[in-house]
Amino acid sequence: MFNKTFILFFMMTFGLNAYASTNVPVSGSVESKCVVTQDVVGVFGNPTPGVLSTDPSDGGVNPVIRFDVVQASYYTAKITHPDTFTESPALNDVVYWTGSASVDQVTDANMSSYDTDKVEYNNVTEFFLTIAGSTWFKVESEATYGVGRALPGGQYQAAVLAECIAI
Amino acid sequence: MVFLSGHASAHEWTPTYPKPTMSHVAGIMKVEMRLFNGREDIEYYAINVFDSEWNSTPFALSNGKTTVRVKPNTRLGIDVYIRQKDLTRAVYVCSKTKPLAEEESKTMLFSRICSKIK
Repeated sequence: MFNKTFILFFMMTFGLNAYASTNVPVSGSVESKCVVTQDVVGVFGNPTPGVLSTDPSDGGVNPVIRFDVVQASYYTAKITHPDTFTESPALNDVVYWTGSASVDQVTDANMSSYDTDKVEYNNVTEFFLTIAGSTWFKVESEATYGVGRALPGGQYQAAVLAECIAI
Repeated sequence: MVFLSGHASAHEWTPTYPKPTMSHVAGIMKVEMRLFNGREDIEYYAINVFDSEWNSTPFALSNGKTTVRVKPNTRLGIDVYIRQKDLTRAVYVCSKTKPLAEEESKTMLFSRICSKIK
């Protein structure tokens, strides 16, 4: 009786230990990639009758886009701020657009150099993602309708294009 | 609590440097891509192939269209078919979001990620 109990106890103890120490393989790989994430959705404020602006001081919200790159110097980020509405009421005068893209937050202090090294043309800003990690870019946009004219009432939408191009 | 209230809204297109492989059709090469749609506001992506000067290059998808539907927070494998004779000039394989119009004054984000054929 004692022997059987002892053997059973022995088997349960060491059996459980053997089960607990079973190796479960976890595999993975690291590959270069770029992930574009919309962190903050932009909103137009309407500070004066003829202006729509994403500037917080005008009641707007600047859109913020995050670029995550796993490996350095594999991608270029291209941000195009709006130069037209994708949706608006009928407009019969010219809309003057201004805007910019700049570094907002970084995960590596050296990424702050992206702002000084950026290339701007037309309404496009190019950043060379030379450091692995995440970078948040802030896009500012402002639309002015004609000269001293009021924008017609209705819904307005514009689009920011964020591109990540493999080098 | 601040972290819990945040949301991811990501677009991922891999691999960075895809290598064309033979398809089941003679003279047609296949580029295998993967798309992850982490954007709740997006369900459709346009696929495009460009040369080094960003001119469109002919290609086909298995669904016969140039757009694919990828439900939010899902991953989809996409085979891009390119004729062998076009492969010499095909450089970039891109995916671009196709947002739907919304009734709200705001800025939308179109994101495009381009991989480079090597």
